Amino acid sequence: MNPLIAPQLPFDMKPRAREAVRDLKLQQFVGNATHLKDTQRGGIFDRDFGAEYDELRTVARDTKQYALDHLDELLERFIANAEASGAHIHAAATGREACAIALDIARAHNATSCVKSKSMITEEIGLLPAFEAAGIKTLETDLGEFILQIDGDAPSHIVTPMIHKDRVATAKSFVRELGARYTEDPEELTKIAREHMRGLYRSADIGVSGANFLLADEGSAVICTNEGNFDLSVGGPPVHIVFVGIEKLIRGARDLAPFLKLLARSGTAQPLTIYTSVVRGPRRAGEHGGPKELHFVLVDAGRSGVLASEKRDLLRCIRCGACLNACPVYRKVGGHSYGSVYAGPIGAVLTPELERAQGNADAGLSNYPDLPRASSLCGACYEACPVKIDIPKFLLHDRARLRERGLSPASEESVLRIWRWLAERPALFRLAIGAARLHARMLGQREVTQDGDRAWLTRAPGPGAGWTATRDLGFATGESFREWFATRDNARGVR
Amino acid sequence: MRVALFTTCLAEALAPRALKATVLVLEHCGVAPEVPLAQTCCGQPMLSNGLPADAATLARRMCAVVAPYDAVVTPSGSCASMVREKYAGLFDAGSADRAAAEALAVKTYELIEFLEMRLGVDPSSLKGRPSAPLTCHDACHLRGLHRHGCTAPFLSRAGCGEVRELPDMAQCCGFGGMFSTQFPEVSTALGDEKLAHVASTGAGTLVASDTGCAAHLAGLAHRKGVALRVISPAEALAESLGLLENAAPNGGKP
Repeated sequence: MNPLIAPQLPFDMKPRAREAVRDLKLQQFVGNATHLKDTQRGGIFDRDFGAEYDELRTVARDTKQYALDHLDELLERFIANAEASGAHIHAAATGREACAIALDIARAHNATSCVKSKSMITEEIGLLPAFEAAGIKTLETDLGEFILQIDGDAPSHIVTPMIHKDRVATAKSFVRELGARYTEDPEELTKIAREHMRGLYRSADIGVSGANFLLADEGSAVICTNEGNFDLSVGGPPVHIVFVGIEKLIRGARDLAPFLKLLARSGTAQPLTIYTSVVRGPRRAGEHGGPKELHFVLVDAGRSGVLASEKRDLLRCIRCGACLNACPVYRKVGGHSYGSVYAGPIGAVLTPELERAQGNADAGLSNYPDLPRASSLCGACYEACPVKIDIPKFLLHDRARLRERGLSPASEESVLRIWRWLAERPALFRLAIGAARLHARMLGQREVTQDGDRAWLTRAPGPGAGWTATRDLGFATGESFREWFATRDNARGVR
Repeated sequence: MRVALFTTCLAEALAPRALKATVLVLEHCGVAPEVPLAQTCCGQPMLSNGLPADAATLARRMCAVVAPYDAVVTPSGSCASMVREKYAGLFDAGSADRAAAEALAVKTYELIEFLEMRLGVDPSSLKGRPSAPLTCHDACHLRGLHRHGCTAPFLSRAGCGEVRELPDMAQCCGFGGMFSTQFPEVSTALGDEKLAHVASTGAGTLVASDTGCAAHLAGLAHRKGVALRVISPAEALAESLGLLENAAPNGGKP
């Protein structure tokens, strides 16, 4: 897999984050796109739901939570109904197993070519590298994924995989890889990609996609795309495989409405994606389109482990990408800084948790020790989440696990422990604050303003060095608040 | 009503004027706050940095120190949210500590919230004197209190003068407690973006509703040599009401 999303572990986020902050193009592309989508998201929900938006989220949260709480039952129902429709069902405990199942299916049909629709789970399990290694030429048919594929690049956003790239880069790679003429016109570029793909859809041996929802009552899958590439990948090749995480199950079409209302609005500020496709069973007698063989690969890959943990809420995620767009840190560091298929706030909690659930003990956090810390805990992700996943709560949870396992800097811990110890001793605590102010007064740049005397520390010791690398630290050095309060005639409560 | 001023450690160290202003504004609105001497730190730095047991120790202290009061008021949005949203979760359900934390949560307020929601102060009744144009950045932690974006309208209606809309106010300033030292480049980049938005308003004074955010933004501006006054909502109100001298150039006249 691409080292951008499957780096050497343990993963050190800081160098990538530093580089990203200095990358002016990334700042511009990711900053503009995320701000725009986030603003539009707020706008469309205001327009379409107003005050009822919060209620809609609550319904979606509870509906998905119900499904997770009844997952075994729903799985059984889905399998029975999907099999009744003629589909083949496979269960994969791990990503590796899921790939092996797909390779078996491909081999049974002597497949050498594949058209693939966009899917996070196939990224997660590394399907494309597995196919390529087995000599199955695989075409990414989502335009963004296609551009990344021909560039040897990796997706950096759940919904907008090439958010970190622009038209110029696309134009250049089309000239280089496809022998196209140079154009920066988006319509022309799309046309070039379409011409390249159309023939391949027809000749491919196998089609692959993910799914946004699995409907237990109907035994079908719902796939939301904007480009119609799913419909082509399921309509052309004789065999189609749907890869899907088991957490995508809901009861059925009766529960679908709130999610369709939320998904596209949250992700791209559209009322619906351009295409909302339902696939149920293979081609039936008398039908002209659709695969002759339809397979569902139900992937666990850690999900049962997450379900059994205190982080089960994470499985409600519908991969809308709203938390990425809302996150100030994601906006600055971009997706590749998270070193994982899942970037942004949801990735920061999901990546180590999926790792943990698939590996042993705390492999997750020791492999990704920076992720829980890479947040200002501003809460924008929680506010943006259509299924109300309290991401900051889980970040705090992971920070505590990091401490317990000695995976956070010990210097910080000493400072915090001393701080806590002092805070239990009010007189000493006040002395310490006084000492800090005195320290600033002695060593800082002094300034007299009408707001009071100030001293600016320009070089702080210990963990403070990270602060003064780019900032001064201003202390008020005149009379302290308590001194002032004590001198007032009506001072009360100072005792 | 006995009201305790929750001073916060950061404000005692860095922003005593914000605390003075809070006292003066509360008195102006008919409430004489007391200052429980034994209060120290609410424990937020410990909780945010993976030491919930240490945070619980301080939370237990805080609950005891302010137990006798009817309301607890702080000028710092982030510390208010710690007490309101996080304290209860530090203790087991059904425990006495949990009950104390829940009791404290319902009587703790950020200053502007206290004025508006508890005292029912109609800001337009304050009839402040307009000062030089301001712009206002709310602390992200006010989100959880459903008070994000409430400071600017309050100051504006209170007559503090022209409160210019801060573009992209919703985006974090990049402070984030120790995040600011753990990811200094990211923190700084966010702070720079915030300062650029502040500059785009043309306002010379930034009102920031959290001491940490204020220290971060003021510190960045100072390092760059950018002239920017960063004050708390309490100071903006106190100046406008003539309770504190306005220290802005020209005495802050518009």
